[in-house]
Amino acid sequence: MSAIQVNEPKPRMIVPHSVRGGAISLVGLVIGAGIWEIVGRHTQAASFAPFSQTVSALWLMTRSGELPTALESSLELFGAGLGFAMLFGFFGGLFLARIRLLRIGLEPYILMLYATPMFALIPFILSLFGFEFRAKVIVVTLFGVWPILINTLEGARSVSNDLLEVAKSYRSTEPKLWRHVIIPYTLPYTMTGVRQAIARSLIGMLASEYLLAATGLGNLILTYTNRFDTARVLAAVLVITLLATILMAIGRAIENYFARWKAGV
Amino acid sequence: MASVPHEVAIPRTYGVSARTQRTFLRIATGVILLVLWEVLVRWLAPPFVARPVTVARALPHVLANHLPPGTPTFWGAAEATVVASAEGLAIGIVGGVLVGLTMGRLRTADRLLRFYISTFFAMPIIALVPVMTLWFGYSSTVRLYIVALGAFLPICLNVYDGTRSLPASFVEVAQSYRARWWNVWFGIALPASLPYLLAGFKLAVGRVLVGAVVAEYIVNLKGLGSYIVFDSRTFHQPEMMVAVLFLALLGVSVNAAADLATRRFLPWYRRSE
Amino acid sequence: MSTNGAAGRIQIDGVAKQFGDLRVFQDIDLAIGEREIVSIVGPSGCGKTTLLRCIDGLVQPSEGEIRIDGAKVTEPPRGVAVVFQHFGLFPWKTVYENVAYGLRLAGAPKDQIAESVARHIELVGLKGFDKAYPYQLSGGMQQRTGLARALATDPHVLLMDEPFASIDAQTREILQFELLRIWESRPMSMVFVTHSIEEAVLMGDRVVVLRGRPSSIHEVIETGLPRPRTRDVLSSPRFNEVREQVWSLLMHEAEQAERELQEVR
Ligand SMILES: Nc1ncnc2c1ncn2[C@@H]1O[C@H](COP(=O)(O)OP(=O)(O)OP(=O)(O)O)[C@@H](O)[C@H]1O
Ligand SMILES: [Mg+2]
Repeated sequence: MSAIQVNEPKPRMIVPHSVRGGAISLVGLVIGAGIWEIVGRHTQAASFAPFSQTVSALWLMTRSGELPTALESSLELFGAGLGFAMLFGFFGGLFLARIRLLRIGLEPYILMLYATPMFALIPFILSLFGFEFRAKVIVVTLFGVWPILINTLEGARSVSNDLLEVAKSYRSTEPKLWRHVIIPYTLPYTMTGVRQAIARSLIGMLASEYLLAATGLGNLILTYTNRFDTARVLAAVLVITLLATILMAIGRAIENYFARWKAGV
Repeated sequence: MASVPHEVAIPRTYGVSARTQRTFLRIATGVILLVLWEVLVRWLAPPFVARPVTVARALPHVLANHLPPGTPTFWGAAEATVVASAEGLAIGIVGGVLVGLTMGRLRTADRLLRFYISTFFAMPIIALVPVMTLWFGYSSTVRLYIVALGAFLPICLNVYDGTRSLPASFVEVAQSYRARWWNVWFGIALPASLPYLLAGFKLAVGRVLVGAVVAEYIVNLKGLGSYIVFDSRTFHQPEMMVAVLFLALLGVSVNAAADLATRRFLPWYRRSE
Repeated sequence: MSTNGAAGRIQIDGVAKQFGDLRVFQDIDLAIGEREIVSIVGPSGCGKTTLLRCIDGLVQPSEGEIRIDGAKVTEPPRGVAVVFQHFGLFPWKTVYENVAYGLRLAGAPKDQIAESVARHIELVGLKGFDKAYPYQLSGGMQQRTGLARALATDPHVLLMDEPFASIDAQTREILQFELLRIWESRPMSMVFVTHSIEEAVLMGDRVVVLRGRPSSIHEVIETGLPRPRTRDVLSSPRFNEVREQVWSLLMHEAEQAERELQEVR
C-alpha cells in the first residue's frame, strides 16, 4: 500500500520562542476573546453569547454536575471506540502485512472505507446494532480504525531488508524478529495513525451522539440549541475544543515518544 | 534474439501478467465480501436491512430517479452535496493558500493565528453545526460555512507547513535575481508547497464530505445527508445504500484524481531530494 | 591584464561583517576590474560566502561599503549574477524555466526570453534538455543550468561561490575550461570563491588569500598567467610556482590552527 500517503499536518501548541513572540501570541488570544465578547454583546442573546457569559455558563454547568456527567459519558464512548480502533488497526495492519494475498485483495476496499464519510453508514449500523452504547462504539471505531490500519501496514511493509538480514544473521527466530525488529519499527507509523484516529474518532463520537441515542456532549449541544441557550451550547463546544486540543497534544507526545529513535536517522 | 546468443534468458511468466493476477484477486475478494454481506444479513438481520441483492435491485430506479412521490430524488441530492462540497473546497483552497502563505512567511501573523488555526483543526467542526443553525437559521449557509472550514483548515496548515519548510537557499536565489516579496510568496513558496497543498486537499475532501452530510442531516437541507436519513427512517435501506456507495466512490475518485494530478503535474516531487 | 584600484568595477572599502558576537571578517579592501577574475581562497568558515553575499547585497556589511559601478550596494543590483555551490535550481521548474527565471523577474519581453534562454542553454552544452527537471540531471548538468541561468541575465559581474565544489573531479575540470571559454567570448568581472588552490590559480588574474580569525586579506597574488587559458597552463612552471605559494600561505595557517588547538588541550 505504498501508494497511500496519509499525510496530516501536526497540530502545534503555542510554544513561544521568545518573550516577544509569546507576547504577540497572547495579544492574539486577547484579541480573539475580545472579538467574541463584542460580537456576543451586539447580537441577539438567542444567537450569540459573549465570551464572559459562555465562561459563566461553563461554570454553572460544571457546578450542577451536568457537564462532568456528559464529559464522562462522551469520554467513555470515545475511549472504547478508539481502544478497539487501535486494537483492530494495529493487529489488522500487521496481519495484512504478513499475508500478501489478503493484502492485495483487500487494499482497494480498505481505501474505499477510509475515504467514505462514515457518517453515511450510521443508519446501517443502527439497523444492525441498535441505538445504544454498543452501536455507538462501533461507529467511533469505524471512524478511527482506518488510518491506524493503513499506517501500521505501511510501517510493517517498509522495514528494510538490511535490518531483516541482520536479524536473520543473528539467527533470530520469527517471534523474536517481530518483537525486536518489525514491531518497534512499525510503532511510530502506528502512532501517526493513532494521532489521526483521535481526530476522526472525536468526529465519530459527536456524529453518533447526534444520530443515535443522544448522550454526552453531543446531547448537550443539541438540547441547548433547541432551547436557544447559546451560552451553554458554546460552553459545550468550548469543552470539546479543549478536549480535542488536549487529546491531540497527548497523541503527539506519544507519537514523538515512539519515534524518538528516528531523529538520528 | 538469435543474433545475441549470450543474452541471459529473461525468465518468462507463463500465462497472465502480475497485473492481471492482482486485478483478478481484487475482484474475487470483492465478490467474497459481497457474498459474506448477503449471507450474514439474510441470516442475522431484519429483512429491511440492505443486502447486495436488494441494493442491486434498487440501483436502476434510484439512478433513474424513479422514486415514490414525496421522497427526495437521488440525483438532486447528489448534485446539492457535490456542488456545496466543491464550493467549500474552492473557498478553502483560496483562503487556505493565502492564510497559510501569510503565516509561513510572516512571523507575526504566525504568532497571532497559529493558536486558532491549530485549535480549530484539532476540534471536530461538526460540533459547530447546531449552534450555526442559531446564527444562520436552517439554511444552506450553515453547510457552506462547515464545508469551507473543513477545507480551509487542513489546506491552510499544510501550506503553512510547506512554506515553513521552504529551504532558505531558494529564497536567497530568488532575492539575488531581485525578487520582490510577491515573487517569493507566489513564485517560490507556493510552488514549493504544492505537494503539501495536495496532501491537504486530500484531507480536506474527507472532511468536507463528512461536514456536508452532517450539516444536511441536522439542518435538513436537500442533499445526500438528508436523503440517507430519510431513506433509512422510511425503511428504504437499499436506496440509502446507493447513496453511501456514491459517497464512497466520490471520496476514492477525488483522491485518485489528486494522486494522478501529483504524478502528472508535479513530476519533480519526491524525486528531487 | 589585471586592473587595480581606481578603475575597479567592484570597489570594496574597509568592509567588515559581524553576526552577533561573531566577527567573521574585517578590513577588506579590494578593487576588481572590468575584465578581471579574482579568486578568493581561505579556510572553511572564514567568510568567503558571506563576503560574496555582501557584494551581491543579500546581506549588508557591518562596516565599510561596497560599490559596483560607483553605486553603493544595498540590494542585489541589476547586472550582477550569482552561481551557488548548491546550484539553487528550483526543482519544480524545467531547465528552460530555471534559465528563464532571472529574465522573467526582470520583466523581459517573451521573444527576448525565448531567444536568450535557447542561446544560453546551447552555450552551456545542454541543448535538448530544455524540458528536463533538475532531478533528471547529473550534478554537472545541474550546475551548467545554474550557470546558464546566471549568464542569461547578461550580467557584467559574475559571483561564483564554489560553483564546482560538489561535482566530481573530471566534470569539474571540463566545466572550468568551459567557463574560461565562455568568459573569453564575453569578458566580465568575476569573483570566484573556491576551496581548491588549483582552481583559484587557474581561474584568477589574482588570488586573494583570507586568513585569521576574524579573517582579513592576508595576501593578494598576481598569477601572471597568459590568457586565453588552456590545459597547457596546468603544466606551466609559473602555474606550479603560484600554486606552491598559495599552498604554503594556507598551510601555514592550517598548521598554526592545529598547534593552537593542541595548546588548548
Ligand atoms: N546568517 C548568519 N547568521 C549567523 N552566522 C552566520 C550567518 N551566515 C554565516 N554565518 C557564520 O559566519 C561564518 C562564515 O560563514 P561563511 O559561510 O561565509 O564561510 P565560508 O568561508 O563560505 O565557509 P565554507 O568554506 O565552508 O563555505 C561561519 O562561522 C558561519 O557560521
Ligand atoms: Mg561558503
